[in-house]
Amino acid sequence: MKVTKIYDANHQWFMFGRDPEKPESIIDTNQYMIVAGERALLMDPGGIEVFAPMLGAILHHAKADQITDLFASHQDPDIISSLGLWDQALPQARLHAPWIWEGFIRHFGMNNIEYVGIPDEGSTINLGSIELQLIPAHYLHASGNYHVYDPVGKILMSGDVGAALESPEGPIFVDDFNEHIPRMKMFHQRWMPSNRAKNDWIRRVRELDIEYMAPQHGRIFKGDDVQNFLDWFEQLDVGTAIASEE
Amino acid sequence: MPERTMTQNIATDEDKLVALASIAAELHAVMEVAYGVSLAAKNAKVISAQAGDKGLGFQPITDFIDEISQLAINGVNHINENALTLSKIAVHEQRSYDAYQRFSSVISKHKKAKYVASLDPAMLRVETHMIDSFKDFKKSMNDLFLLLEEMNEHMLSARAIASVSRIVTSDAQEFRNKLEVVASNLDNAAVFIKDKVSDSYKHLNRVKTLTREHA
Repeated sequence: MKVTKIYDANHQWFMFGRDPEKPESIIDTNQYMIVAGERALLMDPGGIEVFAPMLGAILHHAKADQITDLFASHQDPDIISSLGLWDQALPQARLHAPWIWEGFIRHFGMNNIEYVGIPDEGSTINLGSIELQLIPAHYLHASGNYHVYDPVGKILMSGDVGAALESPEGPIFVDDFNEHIPRMKMFHQRWMPSNRAKNDWIRRVRELDIEYMAPQHGRIFKGDDVQNFLDWFEQLDVGTAIASEE
Repeated sequence: MPERTMTQNIATDEDKLVALASIAAELHAVMEVAYGVSLAAKNAKVISAQAGDKGLGFQPITDFIDEISQLAINGVNHINENALTLSKIAVHEQRSYDAYQRFSSVISKHKKAKYVASLDPAMLRVETHMIDSFKDFKKSMNDLFLLLEEMNEHMLSARAIASVSRIVTSDAQEFRNKLEVVASNLDNAAVFIKDKVSDSYKHLNRVKTLTREHA
């Protein structure tokens, strides 16, 4: 599991991904961790298959009991099917996840961890030295969906928005936006169901000061490429599986 | 822990769950038959009441038949509850074992990780949970053996009652045919249930063998 520190100040952001030992048949995923003093937050910790490499990679940077909080942007297996294992590794932790998905996510096995349902309007996660904002991203692509915004680091963990189908050897950051578009286009047109939801999210995200936009698949956008992405996404027609039938 | 691969252990756990589900399937058929016997016993009571003095000798028998069918129904319910408890323990045990294997793999592959020792408490918890689950499983399995044994004995009693009732019905003249049918149904049901209990025994012995291999 490759680890990249994407922000390093009073708190740190780590990105985990591009696992060379990952089975080829499962989609590559990016997992993120914020370490803020004695506490740490794991975001979209991934599926069962990446649990051991993830935990191993984490232990180079944080203690197991330092991870007090988990976040799941939505209910998909590549996001949180490892929950049953985290439940045994971190029994004291809290899972922040959409309220609407609680009954579904618990199917992954949760006997110890506390489920903190995120209300529709969003919420915050307080890690002591930093407060993170949970930004609603409903229907992008799940019906209950959130992103994590760090106003200090100016980083938006954007879940499936900005995702690209990437090979495990792909670079961590977008270096040529136009060249990157073909990797993102089908993903957004097919996985994102609603132009209305898309535009609502873009309006809200344009109000945030974002230096890094970190999706759950593919490459991280930085600097001007964040705005390039928002502009590109705004003009993109999504929900095309239905459109193609009309 | 034994020198077995994760795949082997998961296969063993799956075999255990299949064997336990098979017990529940055998007993589903038993329940239908037991309800049938219970209904027949109630009919027999009516028949013996209609027989008046001629049916007097048959009344205690119909009470026995009713009692036996109730014991069979209650026994099947207890066995099912026990088999379900065993399945749940097996699932928990399998989850703990899965976590144990994955934690072990992390510790072995990341010996040099700065905070690898922080995983030790989780490892200890999972080990303790596995040991507790194993003890619970063995206890529930022994309870299930006893319940099956008890059911077997009930069915032996049922067959004995069926034999006695045939002798009694031979004096009941015009009701003889009806009462003989009840006795015959009871005997057939007892044989059927005994066979199913025997099959359940085989499944449970398979679980016991797999549990011993797993230990």
